[in-house]
Amino acid sequence: MTYKLLVYIVILSMKTNDSEGVSGRFMKNRFSSLALSAVVTLSALALPAVSAAAAQKHAAPIGAKFKVGLVTDTGGLNDHSFNHLAYVGVLDAHKKFGVKYSVVQSHQSSDYVPNLTTFAQEGYNMVIAVGYLMDSAVQQVSKEYPKTKFLIIDDAITNRKNVMSAIFDTQQCGYLVGVMAGLMNLQKHIPQINGKNVVGVIGGQDIPPVESYMAGFEAGVKKVDPKATVLQAFANSFTDPGTGQQMALSQISQGADIIFPVAGGTGTGVINAAKQKNIFAIGVDANQNYLAPSTVMTSALKGVDVATEIAISDALHHHFKSGVVHFNLANKGVGIAPPIKAVPKSVLKKVDSFIPLLVKGKINPPALLSSH
Amino acid sequence: MSVLGLVFSNPELYGSTLAMATPLALGALGGTFSERTGVVNIAMEGIMLVGAFFGVMAAASSHSAWVGLLAGVVAGGLISLALAWPAVRLQSDQVILGMAINLFAAGLTAFLLNTVYGFGGTPISTPQLPQLTIPILNNIPFLGAVLGQQNVVVYLMILLVIIGHFFLFHTNLGLRMRAVGEHPEAADTVGINVVRIRYFGVLIGGMMSGLAGVYLSIGMLNSFEVNMTDGRGYIALAAMIFGKWTPFGSLGAALLFGFATAVSFSLQNYGVSANLIGILPYALTIVALTGVIGRSKAPAADGLPYEPSK
Repeated sequence: MTYKLLVYIVILSMKTNDSEGVSGRFMKNRFSSLALSAVVTLSALALPAVSAAAAQKHAAPIGAKFKVGLVTDTGGLNDHSFNHLAYVGVLDAHKKFGVKYSVVQSHQSSDYVPNLTTFAQEGYNMVIAVGYLMDSAVQQVSKEYPKTKFLIIDDAITNRKNVMSAIFDTQQCGYLVGVMAGLMNLQKHIPQINGKNVVGVIGGQDIPPVESYMAGFEAGVKKVDPKATVLQAFANSFTDPGTGQQMALSQISQGADIIFPVAGGTGTGVINAAKQKNIFAIGVDANQNYLAPSTVMTSALKGVDVATEIAISDALHHHFKSGVVHFNLANKGVGIAPPIKAVPKSVLKKVDSFIPLLVKGKINPPALLSSH
Repeated sequence: MSVLGLVFSNPELYGSTLAMATPLALGALGGTFSERTGVVNIAMEGIMLVGAFFGVMAAASSHSAWVGLLAGVVAGGLISLALAWPAVRLQSDQVILGMAINLFAAGLTAFLLNTVYGFGGTPISTPQLPQLTIPILNNIPFLGAVLGQQNVVVYLMILLVIIGHFFLFHTNLGLRMRAVGEHPEAADTVGINVVRIRYFGVLIGGMMSGLAGVYLSIGMLNSFEVNMTDGRGYIALAAMIFGKWTPFGSLGAALLFGFATAVSFSLQNYGVSANLIGILPYALTIVALTGVIGRSKAPAADGLPYEPSK
């Protein structure tokens, strides 16, 4: 009884997650094996089921035969940030060009190679690997499948003709939110600002795409508020909001009144702590204002969705570029979200004045932390 | 003041220690109840996740954090029955069962999160369990800042540890549970229902682990994230072993691990790399198991299935 119910739930979920219905191929292949699976296997299948290959009825002819496979890192599609954005990019490409797509979420780092290989083996034209942590997996699989095009986000792979690497100059948007944080910290009449001149930044792991945000942030704060203390810590996890919350409370107890989490799911705990203690937080990757509308004062944006869509479009139209492609302020690959009303116009104006300087390269924020 | 002085004189450090220790202590207490009756329970991680998810789900849909708490505890109890039934009735391998439940729970909760709430995550209007302010304690300097204002689950945890100790070591039922865990045949011959006692132990343990999950999701926060337990169930397992399968030992070990974590948070803000401190719980467990700090001995029949004589 329970078992039938579970099968039913799994099938139902495919339908709810796949707006256009479950493809026949998926049903035929998977249903018989589902029927034999034990409860445990069911749960393991439940996640890939989210991805159910989409069947397109209204597909534009150009992309109908083009298949895109998306492999998330362990953060999963629920990370409120870059995995989710990559998915948004794939959906956009699906809507625009009618490409077919499929998504697999990785639960542990040992899933990366098999997940990438599965897509390559099944003849997907383009396989997207979300994240720096998949570097070696992409190196390996792209060598074995030279005809498959790969896109890796946040990592530079230069020795493969079939790999495009999207690098985001997030030190630029980190710098801008840093400038905003520094200026806000000097304001006198904002209740959330305590006058102690301390801000905090919390990273998920100490890896380059996280560090570039943090380094940019630190440089931005110091540019406008040289005396500010910038507290810095790593949670060593992207999926631990409890730790994020406690780390934020620790920084708040040391005087921080603006905290910038660069930590995926861990960051939601930071934003929660900021809301509880009524201080400001800064969102990352996507506009995270919806997580706490009155305290997330702005977000540093990383256009993973834009990059993903561009890469798919290029590959589809035979313009695929291998090697590193930079996304930055100049090509709107990074940016900042509109701030909340608590941010004074004078601050905003000052922040905006830095944009042309960054675009023209007159200011080049560091991509590495000074403590390293 | 030196950096260390600043770090150790900050009451936030000890508040944070309690906050980080609470899910570990509850998980370890849950494991203790299960293992004292002879059922190895490595499923705390999974049970916590299930408790965390259903806690949020019930809290969000009923707009009451208390209903969420209840639902999380019940869900923890129910999923633990999935361990109890095959372990007690079918005499299956308990370690494999525990792992199976951990994997199942990780898949199930992630899947339900996507299915029920989509990729935006749980609603931001989800209510949170209240912080309690203890009247007199709160006014004592320093101590008040540490103990006087904590989440209600933290106080529940302390209460449960005390009750758990009294129950296991000073009541008839507690004695029976320990007897079943040490020597089920002997317990059976004096008329103790081994099967029923083991079900009871696992169920109570599951409910406590469920509460640990509730604390993570609607105690500290008001949301669920995929795999948000982040290995705490396994550290709770270590705390249980380090605490020699006793409630107070579990709490002590959990506080030590919680303190190590909290110190690493504060030290990092002063530029000290805290990676070494991060391995402390695991290192201490190995030390405990090698018997350096007194011998840590599991209940004799822990993990051994028992077939009642007909």
